[in-house]
Amino acid sequence: MKKLVLALAAVTISVSAYSQKLVVKGSDTVLPLSQKFAEVYMKKSSGASITVIGGGSGVGISAMLDNTTDIAMASRKMKMDERMKMQEAGRAFKEVVIAYDALSVVVNPNNKVGKLTREQLEGIYTGKITNWKELGGEDMKIVAYARETSSGTYEFFKESVLKRKNYSSTCLNMPATGAVIQAVSQTKGAIGYVGLAYVNDKVKDVAVSYDGGKNYVTASKENAMNKTYPIVRPLFYYYPTSREKGVKPFLDFILSSEGQEIVDKIGYLKLK
Amino acid sequence: MKKTLTLTAIALMFLFNAKAQESEENPLDTLARSVAAMRDELNVKNRLKISGYIQPQFQMADSAGQASFNGGNFPKGVDNRFMVRRGRVKFQYTSAPGEKGWATSMYVLQFDVTEKGLAIKDAYVKITDPWIGWFNLTAGVSDRPFGFEVGYSSSMRESPERGRMSQLLFPGEREVGAKLTIQGPKSSNWNWLALDAGFFNGNGIGGAGIDVSDWDNTKDFIGHLYATKTNESQTVKYSGGISYYNGGFRIDSVNVYKMGADGSGVGGFIIDTKAEDNGAVALDSRTHSKRVYYGIDGQVSFDWHAGMTTLRGEFITGEQPGSAVTFKSPNNNSPFNVDIYSRKFNGAYFYFIQNIMSSPWQFVAKYDWFDPNTDVKGDEIGKAVDANTKQTNSVDIKYNTIGLGLVYRWDANVKITAYYDMVKNETSNNLSGYTADIPDNVFTLRMQVKF
Repeated sequence: MKKLVLALAAVTISVSAYSQKLVVKGSDTVLPLSQKFAEVYMKKSSGASITVIGGGSGVGISAMLDNTTDIAMASRKMKMDERMKMQEAGRAFKEVVIAYDALSVVVNPNNKVGKLTREQLEGIYTGKITNWKELGGEDMKIVAYARETSSGTYEFFKESVLKRKNYSSTCLNMPATGAVIQAVSQTKGAIGYVGLAYVNDKVKDVAVSYDGGKNYVTASKENAMNKTYPIVRPLFYYYPTSREKGVKPFLDFILSSEGQEIVDKIGYLKLK
Repeated sequence: MKKTLTLTAIALMFLFNAKAQESEENPLDTLARSVAAMRDELNVKNRLKISGYIQPQFQMADSAGQASFNGGNFPKGVDNRFMVRRGRVKFQYTSAPGEKGWATSMYVLQFDVTEKGLAIKDAYVKITDPWIGWFNLTAGVSDRPFGFEVGYSSSMRESPERGRMSQLLFPGEREVGAKLTIQGPKSSNWNWLALDAGFFNGNGIGGAGIDVSDWDNTKDFIGHLYATKTNESQTVKYSGGISYYNGGFRIDSVNVYKMGADGSGVGGFIIDTKAEDNGAVALDSRTHSKRVYYGIDGQVSFDWHAGMTTLRGEFITGEQPGSAVTFKSPNNNSPFNVDIYSRKFNGAYFYFIQNIMSSPWQFVAKYDWFDPNTDVKGDEIGKAVDANTKQTNSVDIKYNTIGLGLVYRWDANVKITAYYDMVKNETSNNLSGYTADIPDNVFTLRMQVKF
């Protein structure tokens, strides 16, 4: 009898451990945050196994549609076409904001230009401004780096900075944020945009003005929290409601004060 | 002993040499090379897409042997049936993306396999300009570019069938011809606006075993200009379009009639051109009948607390050359050797589609009307006329249809639809069989599996 109870307990534990397996896929912006969440959560919860994969917001949402991920990470809101596809597939889902992110505009450290207005950024990325001397810098061709079209960061920058105008065909689309940092650090005339958490000393952060040049603000957690820095966006987790039971403990951890401390440490903005 | 020692030494040297060669390459480089090779192979395979769906269904009609637009007429004495409404398999090959990021050619072949046989639904090639990506040329058998319902996939449509209007004006939906699509690539600011326009044989594509090769020199122009937008918060999508059809077919040695009135003012068909006049002209110089349609379509979808809601509508009006016994234009490869009856028509459909919260259930309501002859109505249809005039008949009856349905999405592949179509015909005390509403409502229970 005792053996039977032990066997049942073992089966229960193994089933429980199995249910803790999660796949989290999508936005490269959210990737480092999710990796840290997963690392800490797995240490806390024995038997939990969380696999975190990047690729872009669009890739994560497609994976949710194909039923190959438990959670889709996104640095933009789900598009209407994606919502309609989810409905067509009979897949109900939930949306959770897990943190906020400030988008930094970065240039090569040797570039003299240290501040730009939104209109100037729009001019650069739509191809109207092509040389740094037009912006008070050296006589040097501007090399504008953007993200791939499947990236939520690409979409958000287009909406917030370009005011939905189209990127110039001369912009170079990079597959990941790390690639943007590397390219900007190695190219003298380069400019790019990355999540605040990715900024390092290999690139120079540019102050941005959204009021026509009256006030320039540098991207930082403080400036984003006090709402003086304008390029801030929510970061999302999407998950199918059919998987809510498996996802909820991990989500509860992320939204807890402990999870939100991780948000702060990694360089993103807490919900409160 | 010496021999054994020498052989062992040689073997050890080979082994050492082999190990030294292996260690020259970083294992990560080997892995990266293998992954790159696999990715290249996968990319090639991903260019060929095979998709399809099967729609087995059970239907029950109000009475036996009724004519129906829900998958065809019920045979005499039959008021219920099982059938495979559609069994589609589609092969699509897209070329590798060019330097600008888009594919420049596509090949599509789609078959319909049911208990009635095998029919070709799509057989076309599409090429896209490699320079700006704005121009696409499609040639072969493809959807007619008119309105919304004709080109909307049956696997996606919320009601089991297209409305009576679409089925009569565009039987089989497809057509043999060539069309140009002008639309900016996805990265363009003008991607929301598109124009589809082309020339087609005008014979439609009938179905299994029906040859629709062209039999006259007349080609039909069909065009659809449409726009699609989404609001900034990605919760509302709206689209609208206008369509135009201008075509017809050669008039041979037949009479052509148009609507008028007899000596006492009763509506009927009067002669427009006599057979002997039409026949007197050489074959390649003969005029063609007038087939002109004007259409407007629109839809809006919004995601809110109650779930996704979609409203959709389309209105078409125009002039159609048919015969005394059918409203349809020719739908096969035989010259039209019966008298032509030209009718002015109009029709429309409206959908209300409500997803129930975030559940897999969806409610569908559809209303459509089709008036094949707007110049005659009610008791005037079938009324006796004088000898110089042709009587109107059952072809000229107007129909209103209300459809109510529930759709359940089992998963991403399986959809179950229960739908009841309530068909109400115009009545006339002068037309036998149409003095009251015909009991021709149809219930459909359909399962669709899509891959």
